[in-house]
Amino acid sequence: MSFKKMSALLLVAMLAVGVFGCKKKEEASKEAAAPAAAAGDTVKIGFLGALTGDVAMFGKPTLEGMKMAAEEINAAGGVLGKKIEIVEADDRGDKQEGASVTQKFVSRDKVVAIVGDPTTGITKVAAPVAQKAGVVLLSAGATGPGVVEIGDYIFRDTLLDSIAIPACIEFFAKDLKFKKVAIITSDNNDYSVGLSQTFRDAAKKVPEISIVADEKVKDGDKDFSAQITNIKGKKPDVILFSGYYTEGALIMKEARKQGLKAPMFGGDGLFSPKFIELGGQAVEGSMSALGFSTEQATPETAKFIESFKAKHNGELPGLFDAQGYDAVMLLADAMKRANSIDPKAFKDTLAKTKGFAGVSGTISMQANREPIKSPLSLLYVKDGKFVLKAKVPVKMD
Amino acid sequence: MGAILQSFLAGFDPYLLQILVNIGIAIVLALGLNVIVGLTGQLSLGHAAFMSIGAFASALITNKLGLAFGPNLILTGVITAVIAAIIGFPILRLTGDYLAICTLGFAEIVKVFFLNFEPSNKALGLTVQNAKTDIPVPIWVFLVAVLSVVLVSFVQTSRFGRALKAIREDEIAAEAMGINLTRYKIQAFALGSFMAGVGGGLYAHFLSYINPSDFGFLKSVDILSMVVLGGLGSVPGTVFGSAVLASAPEFLRFMSQYRMLVYGALLVFLMVFRPNGLMGGVNVMDLLLRAVGKKPAGVAFKEKSTT
Repeated sequence: MSFKKMSALLLVAMLAVGVFGCKKKEEASKEAAAPAAAAGDTVKIGFLGALTGDVAMFGKPTLEGMKMAAEEINAAGGVLGKKIEIVEADDRGDKQEGASVTQKFVSRDKVVAIVGDPTTGITKVAAPVAQKAGVVLLSAGATGPGVVEIGDYIFRDTLLDSIAIPACIEFFAKDLKFKKVAIITSDNNDYSVGLSQTFRDAAKKVPEISIVADEKVKDGDKDFSAQITNIKGKKPDVILFSGYYTEGALIMKEARKQGLKAPMFGGDGLFSPKFIELGGQAVEGSMSALGFSTEQATPETAKFIESFKAKHNGELPGLFDAQGYDAVMLLADAMKRANSIDPKAFKDTLAKTKGFAGVSGTISMQANREPIKSPLSLLYVKDGKFVLKAKVPVKMD
Repeated sequence: MGAILQSFLAGFDPYLLQILVNIGIAIVLALGLNVIVGLTGQLSLGHAAFMSIGAFASALITNKLGLAFGPNLILTGVITAVIAAIIGFPILRLTGDYLAICTLGFAEIVKVFFLNFEPSNKALGLTVQNAKTDIPVPIWVFLVAVLSVVLVSFVQTSRFGRALKAIREDEIAAEAMGINLTRYKIQAFALGSFMAGVGGGLYAHFLSYINPSDFGFLKSVDILSMVVLGGLGSVPGTVFGSAVLASAPEFLRFMSQYRMLVYGALLVFLMVFRPNGLMGGVNVMDLLLRAVGKKPAGVAFKEKSTT
C-alpha cells in the first residue's frame, strides 16, 4: 500500500473514532435529558475548563465534582422542580478558546450560570463575556487578584491566598513559635509572583515574624545552591516557597545537603505526590495549605467522600472535586433562596451567602463578593505522605 | 456611527461573531508571517513574540496614555516594526535553520522580558481597558483584516514584492540583479512584524486580558501552520488557512475529546496530499475568470509552450 493510501486510511479511521466517540456521548446525553424534559424544564450550568492539555488536571476533577452535585440535586427532585443539566466544553487551557466557549454557553446553550475556569487567566477572559451577557460565572479555582472586580455576576468559591496565608502565618507565630522566615519566588511563574507578595504582606502584619531572606529562582531551574547558601546563613525557621512542587522538592534537597533544617511551606502548588516522590527524605515536615482535606471531616464532607469513593473505586476526592461540587451546590442554594433561576435575581442571593456548609469548608461571601472559607487545612509530609497537621480557622468578618 | 454599528453587530449570533473575530485576528497575523516566510522565504519561528510586543504596547498605550484606538494600532505597529528592524539587522544575515533558531531565541527573550517588565504586571498579566473608540472591536478586526489582504496583495505584485520573491528563489541571483538583500529582507521583516503588532493589539483589546505565557513557541507554530497549510506566498491561501485553523477547534467541538486528534490528522493529511498548501500554486484570479467563462490572460502562451 502506498504512503498516501495508508495516510488516507488512517485519517478515515481517526474520523471514525471521533464520530463514533461522540455519537455514544450524544446518545447518553439524550437519554439523560429525556426524563428531565418530562419533568419540566431544566437548569443549564456550563462547565468551562480544560479537559485536555496541560491544565486538564484542574478541569477534569472540577467537572467530576459538578456532575456529582448535579446528580444528587436531581435525585432529590432538582432545584425549584427543575433538573440541573451540566453542559461541558473543553477550552484546552487556551484563552481565545475560553472566550469562545463562554460565548457559546451564553448565546447557544443559554446557560444561567457557568462554573469555571479553574485557572485565573482564562477566568479573566471569560468573565467580561459572562458579565456582558448577564450570566453568573463562578470560578472554582481562580485564586489570583482582579477576578470578582470584573463585575457583579462574577464569583469564585476558592479561598483566596490573601486570606489563607495570613491565617497560616499567624498560626506559625502563635502555635509553632516561628520567628524568622525566608521567602523564595519563582519569578517566571505568575502564581508564584502573586503568592510571594501575599507572603510578604502577611509576614509584615505579624510582629513576631521577620523576613530574613527573599530569594528568586526560576521554574525549570535545577541548581539552587546559590540561593540556599544565602538563606542558610540567616537561619530561618521556615522557607516560604510560592512555586510548584518540582522546584520545591529540589530546593529542599539542596537545603538538606547544605545542612539547613528548616521545613518548607507553600500553597497548593506544593501539594502533589510528586513533591514527595522527588524530595524523598528531604521534604519530611514540609507543609502546604489547602482548602480541602479528607481528614477530620464535617458530616457534609464525610458524606461527599463516601459517595465519591463509591463512584471512583475507593479513590479519595481532591480539592478541585470538592470545589466543583461546592460550586454547583452554591448556585443551587442561591437559586432556591431567590426562588428564581434568573441570573439577575440569584446573583444577589449568591452574593449574600453566609455560613454555607460546603464540603470544602464553610463558605461566606464578603461585601466585596470575595469568599471566606473556614477552616483551612494545613498539611505536612509525614512518612512519605501528606497528613493533616492542623485545621487553621479563618476569621469571618 | 458607533451606535449604528453596535446594533448591526447585535443582529449577529455572538458565538459566530466570536469565531469570525478569531479568524480575523488570525488572518492579520498569518498574512504578516506570509510576507516574511512565504514571500521572502525567511523562516521565522518568532512571530508570536512580535504579536506579544504589539499586544503589550497597545494595551499599555490604552491603559496609560488613553490614545484613540486607530492611532494606537498604527503606533503599536510602528513600535513593533522598529524593534523588528533592529533585531532583523543582525539576524537576517543568517539563512534557513540558523535564522529559525535565532528567531526562536529572540521569542524567548521577549517572553522573559515581559515576565519581568514592571509596567505590564510581570507574570501576573495585564488587564486591558476598553478600546478608546466608538466602533466595536469586532468591526476593527474585520476592517484591519480586509486592509491586510489588500496591502499584502498589493505588495505581492509591486516592484518590492517581486524583489522579495527573487530573494526567496535564489539569493545569489537576486543579488546579481542588483537587489540589496539585507535592505529588502529587513523591510519585509518589518512589514510582517508591523502586521503582527497590529494583530497583537487587536487580540489584547478583544480578550481584555493578556499574559506573557500566551505568546509562546506554540503560538508561533500555530500561525506558521496557517501560512503553510494555506500555501506559502499565496494571499487567498493564507486567508483560507487561517480561517480553517482558527475555526477548526470550534467546528470540531462536537467530537469532544477526539477533536485535537482529528485536528492533527487533518494537518498531516493536508500536508501529504497538498504539500504546497491548499492554495499553493493555484491562481485564484484564473479560477474565477474560468468560472465566468473567460480565458485568463497568459493561457494561450502556456498552451503554446507545452506543445
